Amino acid sequence: MDSQAPRVTVEGFDGPLDLLLELVEEKKLDILTVRLGDLADEYLARVRAMPSLPADEVSAFLALASRLVLLKARSLLPSLEPLAEEETESEEELRLRLLEYAVVRERAGQLGARLRAGERAFHREGGTIELPPRGGEVDALASAWSRVLALAGRHGEREEDIVAPGERYSVEQRTAEIEALVAAQGEVSFATLLAETPTVGFAVVTFIALLDLYRRGVIDLSQDELFSDILITGRELSSAQS
Amino acid sequence: MAEKPVGRSELGRIVGGSPRAVENALAELGTSYEGTGLRLQRSGDEWQIVTATEHAPQVAAYLGADRLRLSAASLETLSVIAYRQPVTRAEVEAIRGVNCDQTIYTLASRRLIDERGRKEAPGRPILYGTTWEFLECFGLQSLDDLPHALSPEGQVLESVGGRGAEPPDR
Repeated sequence: MDSQAPRVTVEGFDGPLDLLLELVEEKKLDILTVRLGDLADEYLARVRAMPSLPADEVSAFLALASRLVLLKARSLLPSLEPLAEEETESEEELRLRLLEYAVVRERAGQLGARLRAGERAFHREGGTIELPPRGGEVDALASAWSRVLALAGRHGEREEDIVAPGERYSVEQRTAEIEALVAAQGEVSFATLLAETPTVGFAVVTFIALLDLYRRGVIDLSQDELFSDILITGRELSSAQS
Repeated sequence: MAEKPVGRSELGRIVGGSPRAVENALAELGTSYEGTGLRLQRSGDEWQIVTATEHAPQVAAYLGADRLRLSAASLETLSVIAYRQPVTRAEVEAIRGVNCDQTIYTLASRRLIDERGRKEAPGRPILYGTTWEFLECFGLQSLDDLPHALSPEGQVLESVGGRGAEPPDR
């Protein structure tokens, strides 16, 4: 009946039942048959030897001590007047409590052993998984690509042929162009903007210009579905100001 | 894959299956995890996928998790609550024979136990039960995995059955 690790608590004992159980186990007695009254003297001796405790804890120890003494007295003097029934706890009731407590201590020991063995589980922490936007269909990507091809095809030239050395586009200039175009037409599509000069450099400058216009609140951007053309519309207020 | 346990009814709603079908599927899933690094953990009607206890050292190292430490007094209180839940503080104290305010506070602050409503009794005392964290920290797949008493007196008490369900000195 040895718990797997030494039980160390600040008070030395985890309460009166713990002390009583300790006595039973030390003497290798059987909880089911021991005469609990016989333990009264030793129990009292242990309580006296304990370091000073808060009053309410001492009272718990003393309450059990008085029960044990009563049980002892009963066994020595069977003729003793029984006390009022509700005021006393029979030996069997106390034994059952002790039994129950012994089980609790054993289970606590088993749980403690599991804890020390460190055999535990973990669950996944963190927020919900970020899913990519819906509608990312292969078809949409393919048709977008074919539009780009068609655009390139319309000019009948390959991009590297178009790109002349020293080709220069200014974002400021492009911004002004788009702003004017939007102001004049109300709306314009991204594809149309690119169609003028379908080169990478031109596309980049156009794109940055759009971002800048959007940041300034001059235009609104909308796109019906993924990879489809982007529609650029002027904002009434802002375009009136500029 | 959720970060919180998912209820059986919610699973049924998502996959469009009856509770029984979900139950069967979960049982199958649990079996299929055997020998892998995952386990299915259950509390009441809620389920969650967790790591297998065998790999706890590696997972703990990865997460930088500290090992939980509990005093003997806290463990006793926890075991009473685990085996008797839902249970009030007074009932725990009747069994342990000492004041359990502090240990219950400690266990609750470590989220090993939580409140389960109130008992329909004078004063409507708070009822306590164990949590998901409890199952995880002790590597139990469900409360059915709680260790059984091995000592003769423990077996006597368990065979008595419901006898211990009420504090015997009341």
